[in-house]
Amino acid sequence: MGISEPLETNNVISGAIEAPRYSCALAGAYSTAVGMFGVVPILHSGAGCGIGQLFGQFYGGGQNAGGPYGGTSTPCSSLVEEHVIFGGEKKLESLIESTVELVNGELFAVISGCVPSLIGDDVGAVIRRYKEKKPEIPIIHVNTSGFAGTSYEGYEYFFDSVIDQLLEEKVPKEKGLVNVFGIVPFQHIFWKGEARTIKTLLEKIGLKANLIVGEFDALENLKKIPAAEYNIILSSWVGHETAKKLEEKFDTPYISFPGVPIGPKQTSEFLRVIGERLDVSIDVIEDLISSEERRAYRFAEYVGDVLLIARPHPYFAVVADSNSAVSITKYLANEMGYLPDIVQITDNPPEEARELINEELTTGLETPAWPEIIYEVDAYRIRENLKDRNFMFLLASSLETFISGPEFNAIHLTVSFPSYDRIILERSYAGFSGGLTLMEDVMSKYAGPL
Amino acid sequence: MSGTELTENELIEERIDLSRNTCPNREQRANGINVWYGKASDLAKEARSGCLRQRERNFQQSSGCVLNFYLSVRIGTIRDAVAIYHAPVGCSSAALGYRELYRHVPVELGRPANFDLHWMTTNLGERDVVYGAGEKLREAIKEAERRYNPKAIFVLTSCTSGIIGEDIEGTVSQVQPEIKATIVPIHCEGSRSRLVQTGYDAFWHAVLKYLVKKPEKKQKDLVNVASMLSYTWQDRLEIKRLLGKVGLRVNFVPEFASVEQFEQLSEAAVTAPLCPTYTDYLARGLKQEYGIPYFLYPSPMGVAHTDEWLREIGRHTGKEREIEALIKEEHEKWLPKLKAIRQEFENFKGNGEKVEVLGALGQGRLLAQVPYFDELGLKSSAAMCQDFDNLILKDLEKLIAQMGDFDILVNTFQAAEQTHITNQRNPDIAMTCPFQGGAFKRDKGVTRVHALRSDAHPWSAQSGYTGAIAFGNFLLQSLKSHSYQRTMKEKTQSTYKDWWYKQPNSLYYLKAEE
Repeated sequence: MGISEPLETNNVISGAIEAPRYSCALAGAYSTAVGMFGVVPILHSGAGCGIGQLFGQFYGGGQNAGGPYGGTSTPCSSLVEEHVIFGGEKKLESLIESTVELVNGELFAVISGCVPSLIGDDVGAVIRRYKEKKPEIPIIHVNTSGFAGTSYEGYEYFFDSVIDQLLEEKVPKEKGLVNVFGIVPFQHIFWKGEARTIKTLLEKIGLKANLIVGEFDALENLKKIPAAEYNIILSSWVGHETAKKLEEKFDTPYISFPGVPIGPKQTSEFLRVIGERLDVSIDVIEDLISSEERRAYRFAEYVGDVLLIARPHPYFAVVADSNSAVSITKYLANEMGYLPDIVQITDNPPEEARELINEELTTGLETPAWPEIIYEVDAYRIRENLKDRNFMFLLASSLETFISGPEFNAIHLTVSFPSYDRIILERSYAGFSGGLTLMEDVMSKYAGPL
Repeated sequence: MSGTELTENELIEERIDLSRNTCPNREQRANGINVWYGKASDLAKEARSGCLRQRERNFQQSSGCVLNFYLSVRIGTIRDAVAIYHAPVGCSSAALGYRELYRHVPVELGRPANFDLHWMTTNLGERDVVYGAGEKLREAIKEAERRYNPKAIFVLTSCTSGIIGEDIEGTVSQVQPEIKATIVPIHCEGSRSRLVQTGYDAFWHAVLKYLVKKPEKKQKDLVNVASMLSYTWQDRLEIKRLLGKVGLRVNFVPEFASVEQFEQLSEAAVTAPLCPTYTDYLARGLKQEYGIPYFLYPSPMGVAHTDEWLREIGRHTGKEREIEALIKEEHEKWLPKLKAIRQEFENFKGNGEKVEVLGALGQGRLLAQVPYFDELGLKSSAAMCQDFDNLILKDLEKLIAQMGDFDILVNTFQAAEQTHITNQRNPDIAMTCPFQGGAFKRDKGVTRVHALRSDAHPWSAQSGYTGAIAFGNFLLQSLKSHSYQRTMKEKTQSTYKDWWYKQPNSLYYLKAEE
């Protein structure tokens, strides 16, 4: 019963939760598949799993439609009671046949949900039989379920299957090629813009970046994974399982950062570390930093009046996943002079990641005002924790949109999942000018005639 | 079987048995199906003779289950209640918008200023699947009461809680004595039925069994209306306006209702439909248990149906004369506007041909929309609906007799089939819903089937007289807009291969019968 090889987690939450800001492992694997262009997800699950995640992941992740393969476009075996009794393998077999016949796609990813896991369908055998029959069709099975973990773990499950089933052999390393992991489509609501910005940045220092998410040619990109010289992980914990597995299987070393860098300080540091590890010439790195910095700070001068006259050195609160929380808090504290009051981390990172996150959010800040750091997934307690505090800005999710003013007298901006009230297509806060975009969004919430 | 005709009580299991934990599935209760393509008259004939059977598809797309999204985005809108999903964490993620729902409706338009909606998940994990999670559910119920002191706690089941054999009733009856709120278990395991409408019945069953109180007094001026998320705030206002004019009040359930409104369902004068098959189980239950009369047809969409809808309510509330006066007054105001819209549609093509529209969504909307389109001077030679069952058979037969035959594609959000039929029929206006995949990529008009509950703009209304006019103008507007769908058709890849559009059958993947 259940998952054949459960991923090791030390962060299982045992009680009931109000409105946690993530979905299940099936949803994470599904979002990841939908987030790389060319993968056709095939849900082996009840009929509602795709539509549920259209609402719960795609709409929640910046009010995005399902696109060509998500939501109701997603092939699904739509299991009901008779399959619970007699098994769903036959249904899946014919669904795979018809999907490959009908749907344009590069890679087919069967993602199992709760029902086949509970009834013991041998999905692996179905896929093996199909591969024997049609070896030319790329297909993988993501052996997960709703109860196997959260969206973040689903992301790891997806790559776990890719590594085991698609990347069989070692290939020669390609000079300058790096993979980037740790950005989870839809859960990290700025995923598309972040991927693009990071790719461009790395290209500017002469690297070939394989972002995979937010990119076309998914199959080709996935197949390139073993050829990379390095894996870059933009999260203190998400993508780490994947990186470890790639290190074991393909000897690819990895380096991790606490999140996607926002603004010149974080971006410069990111580039310097990458440059050193990947042997990029210091001149190339420093030239890029100085030209980009010059521009970003020249532009930052323009927010001076609205910042210093209207709302100078305000306290702020953050409610976000660990990647976003660290990068946003650091940017506001270290570049804008905002004072962190409380940071609530909502993605339930494992203990070892928490040490790093805590350090980033204390000694990593250029202010003596250290925030209270709380790890909390429960929407009720998150709300309670925000009461009776000093913050004037609340950078959180759309769960806080309508309570921020009346309950906390704070100006609110959605920067994290769920984001039903902000449509996020290409926007992101990544890179040198990303901080400027963040300031535009924050300050536009209160700007008016001075 | 040919020649035989089933009687009403053979077509529908009429009795509602509240001693059971839940309702029968729509498949059993009314021979529901969601796979069919052909003439409406043939569908009606097969259903009438008892030959209509659910068929299988070899290709299917995610289409919604009994829990998702039908209940997961509805129960959470009930005020002074908490919804608890006894499920893995993903089954309720569709409900994450709960704190934003209805907030865009201005308080000046009658939205309560203070309300707070709540839901929790028991977050079933690997351990629970092995050892059971009754204790976890019990704790969740207690925690819900500690936090919010609600009047009702809804417990929603899932595929997982069902398959692992959770004893929901056992847990509920054990914990109820310690809890002030009424606990309402709803059996909405996604895998229990192919038909999402089973979710409606499962919900109403629980409401009737646990929440509706014996009437303390009769409220002769109260009209029960089961409102869905596809009806906007303006639709509510229009219905309130019309009934208010003859001194009647509306009890809108379940969306955004208070628990007290459910308790009072037994005191109303009549139960009236917005959608017949959504309201059916509740209406029958209230009649059977408390003698509340009901009617299921027509819905207040379009002028003629609104007239009839009001007359039906008038008959049950002794307001016949007032209703006739109201209809007369409304007609004076709205009929000239309807005529103007009709004219504009008639002249649109300039060659005497009617504007062709492909619409509908639920089977209830099918019954309402086809005559309304005719009223507007539109032609609908084909329609889609999510499912079909015997609950609407009589009304479908009546509709065919009135309007003539038309083609019907029965499918629950099957995007490939819907894209195919839209492509093949090539109507001037294709009505779509966010859940119809790539069907919107085309050269001609595209618009939505309906707006959603929090939409408070008069432009989005569809119900009653103001809605008939607003939606008519809305459809006219849609004929002038093409750039998005055309550009997307031209510049993006189709989900489906070319051969799909070249073959003639929208139900190509219907499985051969064994």
